[in-house]
Amino acid sequence: MPQSVREYTGAIRDTVKSFWHGLSITLSYLARRPTTVQYPDRTPLPVRDMLPPRYRGFLEVDNTICTGCQACERACPIGCIQITLEKDPTNPKQRLVAQFDIDESRCMFCGLCVEPCPTGAIQHTREFEGTHRYIRNLVFRWADPMNPFPVYKVDKTAEYFPRAPLGSLVRQRLETLAWDRPAPEFLPPEPPKPAAAKPAPALKAAPAPTAAAPAAKPAAAAPAAAEAPKAPAANPESK
Amino acid sequence: MNSKTQDLCAGSGKTARGVVLATLAVGFGLPLVLLAAVLLLSPLSKPAMLMAALGAAGVNVSGWSVTGQYVAWIVAIAVLALILLSFGAVISGMTVWWEMRVSSRMQSRVGYNRVGAAGFFQWIADAVKLLLKEDLVPADADALLFRAAPYFVLTGFGLVFVALPFGESLIAADMNVGIFYITAVTALIVVGILIAGWSSNSKWALFGGMRSAAQVISYEIPSGLAAMVPVMMSGTLSMQGIIRSQGAWPWEWHAFTNPFALAAFAIFFVAQLAEGNRTPFDLPEAESELVAGYLSEYSSFRFALFFLVEFGNLWVMSAIAVTLFFGGWQVPFVGPEAFAAARGVGDLPGAAWWGLQILSMLVFVAKTLVVLNVVVWVRWTLPRIRVDQMMTLCWKYLVPIAFVVFVATLLWQMLIARLPVSATVSGAVMFAAAVVTALLFFRQTRQNISAVGDRVDFTNW
Amino acid sequence: MDKLILRRVDQSNEEMILNFGPQHPSTHGVINFLVETDGEVLKRAIPDVGYLHRSIEKIGEIVGYPGFMPYTDRVDYVAAMFANEGYAMAVERLLKLEVPARAQWLRVIANEFCRIASHLVGVGTMTMDIGAFTPFLHGVREREVINDLIEALCGARMTYNYHRIGGVAFDLPEGWRDKALAFLDHFDKFLGEFDRLISFNEIFVKRLANVAVIPGPMAVNYGLVGPNLRGSGVDWDVRRDMPYGAYPNFKFDVPIGKGFFGTTGDCFDRYYVRCLEMAQSSRIIRQALETLPEGEISAKVPRNIKPEAGEALARVESARGEMAYYVVSDGTNKAYRVRVRTGSFSAMCIIEDVSRGLMVADLVALISSLDVIAPEIDR
Repeated sequence: MPQSVREYTGAIRDTVKSFWHGLSITLSYLARRPTTVQYPDRTPLPVRDMLPPRYRGFLEVDNTICTGCQACERACPIGCIQITLEKDPTNPKQRLVAQFDIDESRCMFCGLCVEPCPTGAIQHTREFEGTHRYIRNLVFRWADPMNPFPVYKVDKTAEYFPRAPLGSLVRQRLETLAWDRPAPEFLPPEPPKPAAAKPAPALKAAPAPTAAAPAAKPAAAAPAAAEAPKAPAANPESK
Repeated sequence: MNSKTQDLCAGSGKTARGVVLATLAVGFGLPLVLLAAVLLLSPLSKPAMLMAALGAAGVNVSGWSVTGQYVAWIVAIAVLALILLSFGAVISGMTVWWEMRVSSRMQSRVGYNRVGAAGFFQWIADAVKLLLKEDLVPADADALLFRAAPYFVLTGFGLVFVALPFGESLIAADMNVGIFYITAVTALIVVGILIAGWSSNSKWALFGGMRSAAQVISYEIPSGLAAMVPVMMSGTLSMQGIIRSQGAWPWEWHAFTNPFALAAFAIFFVAQLAEGNRTPFDLPEAESELVAGYLSEYSSFRFALFFLVEFGNLWVMSAIAVTLFFGGWQVPFVGPEAFAAARGVGDLPGAAWWGLQILSMLVFVAKTLVVLNVVVWVRWTLPRIRVDQMMTLCWKYLVPIAFVVFVATLLWQMLIARLPVSATVSGAVMFAAAVVTALLFFRQTRQNISAVGDRVDFTNW
Repeated sequence: MDKLILRRVDQSNEEMILNFGPQHPSTHGVINFLVETDGEVLKRAIPDVGYLHRSIEKIGEIVGYPGFMPYTDRVDYVAAMFANEGYAMAVERLLKLEVPARAQWLRVIANEFCRIASHLVGVGTMTMDIGAFTPFLHGVREREVINDLIEALCGARMTYNYHRIGGVAFDLPEGWRDKALAFLDHFDKFLGEFDRLISFNEIFVKRLANVAVIPGPMAVNYGLVGPNLRGSGVDWDVRRDMPYGAYPNFKFDVPIGKGFFGTTGDCFDRYYVRCLEMAQSSRIIRQALETLPEGEISAKVPRNIKPEAGEALARVESARGEMAYYVVSDGTNKAYRVRVRTGSFSAMCIIEDVSRGLMVADLVALISSLDVIAPEIDR
């Protein structure tokens, strides 16, 4: 490309000029304070306390004011909330929440479940540090299946609903759980191998596996059901 | 936060006193020990001085055969070589640390600050980590060449130190072709890089190797031409000779006594950046284009060797620039006759001479560190140029201007021969201009801070 | 797919085929380019997309209308506000909802902050691809302030989920307005510093000027949108030419590429149009904060949204250009079809044509000047 003398000298001049400005700016930053903070140990406050109040961290359920309306479960786009209601055997009018599981590992922290809640029982907290070696530890069970909690009767005249301090419940859980705690076994154990693994010798043997399958299913489901209650508490025997 | 995590990152903003002390001890002690070893060994590795020193130490040298004397001398030289290589490695590691500190501050980050005070031990930790990693050779690579390439690079780097001055008498070998020798051996580095690029059997590495070859070989020309300017001004190729022909004061430096030498320095600096693969000429390892260029397939110690050479080159580059243009180790008020007087007439120099050597070394190291910082600073400011622009810059700008400067220097030397005062006038005027420019520059820097509403704040450095 | 592309590449000569991506530092996400090179010079680069396909459009047919809103965040995670707004507007058109004025204003404020944040990433990564690391982190530093502001506004830094069908989720928190204005004061000065640091740097200009020129007609033919289209000198901005929301109430200029340092439509024009747009966004936010009306932040929307059968199209000017949501309803509480039209996809289409004869380093500049975001291409 042909170049005029003006272009040639102009290129040199522009280069010097851009060096001048660029170098002076980078030098000036040596004399300014850096803006980064050093997470997690060299911040003026714990990071969760520096977050704005609207921060959408881990979900927390205060089961003393949960009405069991299941609005959050319906609102959740990915279905990470699972609620099961049952009748109180002693008092048929009273309904109990037997299961209120939130899978925080699947939650996308969109906040859609918080909006329909009539009492504000389910809320996002400012907790976000939930590193766990086993992802199933992030299924938070807010109702104890062995000891279901009764649903909250909404008082129409109530101005507000007394709630545990936001974040205290989930923080307590996170602090008591060791990060490398073994995970509970939610999945049913492997179906018994021998029946399936046995090569079908002939046609007449074919009914045998089909007959074995229904038999295996309850067997598989039973331990899972037995396992479930122990999950949230310290479960020494499950690994 | 889990208690485990808390344990892992224990410690508050304050660094423990012991850590500070250890950092200071290593940070200053290690280079000081190495420099002291260089200080002692580089004069003592001359045969006459070595024998005199051994004699003074009570060893009966006169009884030794010629072979014995040679063996003693070779041992001294070998130790000096080891010290120089260690110095290169240590200074390279410390440059990495310093560069990371500076760059992080330029980018409003905090940077290294965990391992040791100010994160100083990070470079040691990184080196140890690299040493412990697996030495991988890609499946279809040319294994022999792949393994050999780092040694070429390291050899080219190590050989430079033979002719690199540290002080008045502190040089391993003051060859009469010093600068020529340095230009020659640094070419080994590009051989290593080219081999690395070719043998890796990776397209990215090949790109990097080819770019590097094109770049380094092209920029040898303006670099050599620019280096010829101080050579002409001093009439010698020897590194010590070039320094001795300059004065100690800034207006006596080659860069200022000849108005064209400053242009020569600019060309030399740019060409050295290109030869050292530094931004804006880091095309061979252009991260955003070639992933890692010729380094793509390297891991472990071989990668560490490349890295060591790349950052050690900063010292070499700066030391050569200081030698050629900025008066090297010349100490104000201490002329050659002062050195001679302090040396005395005996076989072994007196204590005053050693003191002057230390002074000259300090001056040289300080100047070199200043130039080194400029290189670091440029890297974190400028973007990378393109391959064709790299060639354009070399052949259309640097080479023609270098020729103009070359010829102008010839004429200038003729003028000086007639009118010796012109060198002094030029030195004074150019130096004053440089000071004014620097002051304007710092004013601009201060304005930059106030313009966006920030303020000068050196806390948390 | 790979085989199809390879068949188009002539392997008989000494040219080299290079897999540029999917794990490459400057492909801006998981994109692959099959690059046919002759030494440093490209014969062409063929984009191979689809690595980040998450079938978001299909998910729109499975979850209900309000439930799809968080998924739109994931369409373009660098500028999620616009994806939110486009979907909200499309469903509002289905429902024939009138959005309250305050909600409209809040949408504009959030959107323009998001545009600044997105452009800061765009120009920042561009400087990084050209080899200067410092300006990128300066951009990210400023973006961090915006992130903090948006976090205080809606509780998230990246996947905002701020817009709702019929309005927005939250009103401005206390003290937010002053913080935002303080930031804008600083930001306008920062833009000047950024220009001096990198935009007008000679090396940077030389790297971008006259590189990968996309003339205006070609840009229109390929369906480029947003800053890429305006960089080619085509004066088109949905905010001004097909006004929606509160935009008709604000004065702002639409910067177009004029060949600032070279030809109109080169990489530098596309880059610099983004820089200029950030200043305009700042102007819009100031006006919006000044004239913010009082009132509701959301229209009355039934909890179970069941629009009448029909279809609606909403176009918004996203940071990456015109983004269109096309929603078809069959009268149930789930959409029959959701279709997203994004700017990055058409930007990918043009790469094969434009990349002929470029150098490897120019390809990097071209990709980052188009400011493509991988999830937006594949959805």
